[in-house]
Amino acid sequence: MSFSYLVKRLVGMLPLLIGVSLILFGVLHLAPGGPLDVYADNPSVTQEALDQMRQAFGLDKPLPVQYASWVLAFFQGEWGFSIRTAQPVVQEILDRLPATLLLSGSAFVVALLIAIPLGVLSATRRYTGVDYLITLLSFLGISMPVFWLALMLQLLLSVQLHLLPSAGMQTIGDGSLPDLLRHLALPTFILAFASVAGWSRYMRASMVEVMGQDYVRTARAKGVPARRVTYAHALRNALIPVVTVVALDFASILSGAVITETIFAWPGIGRLFIDSMNGRDYPVLLAVLMIGSFALIVSNLLADLAYAAIDPRIRYE
Amino acid sequence: MGTVILLSGMAMAQQRGGTLTVGLGYDIDTLNVYSTGYLGDVQAAVVEGLLAPDSKARYVPVLATRVPTIQNGGIKVAPDGKSMVVTYTLRPGVKWSDGQPFTSADVKFTWEAVKNPKFIAESKDGTDDISSIDTPNPLTVVVNYKRVAPDFASTLFTFGILPKHTLDGKDLNTDTYNQQPLGTGPFKVTEYRKGQYVILDRNPFYWRKDSSGVQLPYLDRMVFKIIPDSNTMVTQLKSGEVQLAYGVPYSQVPQLDSQPGLQIVKNAVLSWQHLDFNFKGPAPLRDLNVRKAFAYAINKATVSRALGGYPTPIDTVVVPVFSYSNKLVPKYPYDPAKARQLLDAAGYKPGPDGIRVKDGQRLSFNIMVQAGRSTDEDAEQVIIASLKAIGVELKPDNKSGVAFRDARYKGGYDLFYSGWITAADPTYSVFFGSKGVNNGQGYSNPKVDALLNTAESTLDATARGKALRDFQTLLMQDLPSIPVTSNPSMIAVTDKLGGFVPNPTNMTNFVNTSGWYLKK
Repeated sequence: MSFSYLVKRLVGMLPLLIGVSLILFGVLHLAPGGPLDVYADNPSVTQEALDQMRQAFGLDKPLPVQYASWVLAFFQGEWGFSIRTAQPVVQEILDRLPATLLLSGSAFVVALLIAIPLGVLSATRRYTGVDYLITLLSFLGISMPVFWLALMLQLLLSVQLHLLPSAGMQTIGDGSLPDLLRHLALPTFILAFASVAGWSRYMRASMVEVMGQDYVRTARAKGVPARRVTYAHALRNALIPVVTVVALDFASILSGAVITETIFAWPGIGRLFIDSMNGRDYPVLLAVLMIGSFALIVSNLLADLAYAAIDPRIRYE
Repeated sequence: MGTVILLSGMAMAQQRGGTLTVGLGYDIDTLNVYSTGYLGDVQAAVVEGLLAPDSKARYVPVLATRVPTIQNGGIKVAPDGKSMVVTYTLRPGVKWSDGQPFTSADVKFTWEAVKNPKFIAESKDGTDDISSIDTPNPLTVVVNYKRVAPDFASTLFTFGILPKHTLDGKDLNTDTYNQQPLGTGPFKVTEYRKGQYVILDRNPFYWRKDSSGVQLPYLDRMVFKIIPDSNTMVTQLKSGEVQLAYGVPYSQVPQLDSQPGLQIVKNAVLSWQHLDFNFKGPAPLRDLNVRKAFAYAINKATVSRALGGYPTPIDTVVVPVFSYSNKLVPKYPYDPAKARQLLDAAGYKPGPDGIRVKDGQRLSFNIMVQAGRSTDEDAEQVIIASLKAIGVELKPDNKSGVAFRDARYKGGYDLFYSGWITAADPTYSVFFGSKGVNNGQGYSNPKVDALLNTAESTLDATARGKALRDFQTLLMQDLPSIPVTSNPSMIAVTDKLGGFVPNPTNMTNFVNTSGWYLKK
């Protein structure tokens, strides 16, 4: 892959992002209500106060003007102020990003480390007890609602056994690493569980397909040891379709896990998104959605790069 | 005198010290009482006003030495009866938690700061009623009102006082005050982690002492943990990670009540649940007989039972706590036979599918509640079933978040079931006045407007009480809204907490935390 290809791809992202932003902006403003309705919910808010707010946030201007000024500000790194908290949007996001990176990042790594070997194991031991067990667990993982499993584990591990804290990111007044890890354990497991279930199925299917191909049979016929056939010949090719699936999930590392963050009172981007959504906090919503879109586009690029790394036959010009 | 009332019920020896962990079911937006979109739970332990409502929703003095009234000379109405002057005498020796003295200049500054058009406040209520404020000395505040405002106590200076010495000349929209408010209250904010928690520590300069001279507050620290998921909140209560949480779902109450170390306190908040008719909606809803049939068809006791039996059925929108709650309003006891008769008489005859029809117009409507609010959704189911029994079809059209609010204010519904919670001194014209900001249903009756105008512009308790009672009678005759139940807030609290008294007003349970203590 050439450097010019990379530049071309990066430049190509710009119109895509602008298109995405236009759609997001439109959709958000088409939805009923506006940010000030939250205030109007309070019986003691006067119309005058609402008008002042509308003016202060520029909500009285026509939509195209609002959009243009938002795009301009966005590219200058000036993402405006949150209507809910009056804090700079950048600050709001930076406050939440570390928590999300930590949780989604660890869940991603854990899931990857478990799912790939599990899928390979399932494929190489096809139609044995091990395969059936892994298949059963995977389907459990795919079909079990995240919130239900989380509640059950909270009840068991926190209320009954007092082994782990049920929610939160740290014991107040205790910022130590072991304490953080204890709080991280449950939500990471829950978040990784769903991914493992899905990914390992893809890995298994892909591996089974590759194992049946001519070149694998040839390698076997030539007397290459089974282990070498599996890991050196088959695995590399089997990974390619899996990378696509995994890469799409990679974007969620930045955009947060809404349900898991809510259940575990984890102060991440997912919860910020829900709060902003409920309040139609346009500046924060747009920023979070744009970051999510950006992460998705970058993940796609990374997937393409990963293809090339895994399969030397793939060349991008 | 006020101190005595506030501190009553804690005459026994209390231990100082300890940390109380409180669970909050929402994510805090800002800690400025004037700009938050929520009720200020945390703020109430930090920021004090001149007055505060007590557990019976009566105003008691806090930073003022007495509640101004006409009798004690604190309120003087102008001879033409068109304006008034309220004089507050401030408590001497009060300090901000940074050690600076609290004076009348702070009170005047609060009015100016909140009134400032540049300050984007959620609540500017009451600022426009004031023409000027005089501060003849550091402990006297003379507030000149443009009108006679009997609700003066429920706004502005009761909400909280802002410190002039740190905020003067600052932009209140972005100042660090919004994350670390400075107050005169029993606690001060020492750490605020967004989305996680707020730590409040004892204010060493707090002015209040208990009857045996012990410096308050008793608690060393209060921690407010942010837990948006109600199931997780229950788990945290059970595991002991949280020791106090309010608004516990009714369905979880029996379970938590049987949990060792926890007790459930019922707080009769100033709230009423109601079924509103949209006058701008389908024509049959403007037919009084149809509305009356609805009222007779709903069994309020069943609604209460569906919610664990905690809500109290009510006949008027003014909750029973208030002396002017009218017990003699026209009542509509559960009587489905009468409801059917009314619909028959109005010409609505059962159609082939059992739903009544008149001139091709079926009695079929949408009913809206806030999606996800389980108590309202359960009540909605009871109402739908009750009306089906008299041949009226209701289809749930629940909405969430801003879509719900939008529909509520603009009248984007046929029928709407929800609740209001008010200040100790409610202004009913916002809900039922022709121009009321919360009147999305388009109800208008000039007689109601006139009565509410009287009630909201006189200091004469007798005249005010009569106007409010007459308003209730008229409202129940017109029946724009069927009052259904008054829903208490259930508070789960550790057995160890002493001195805890719930507060029914929108000033929240944390308005008087200085007397709370933890038993060892």
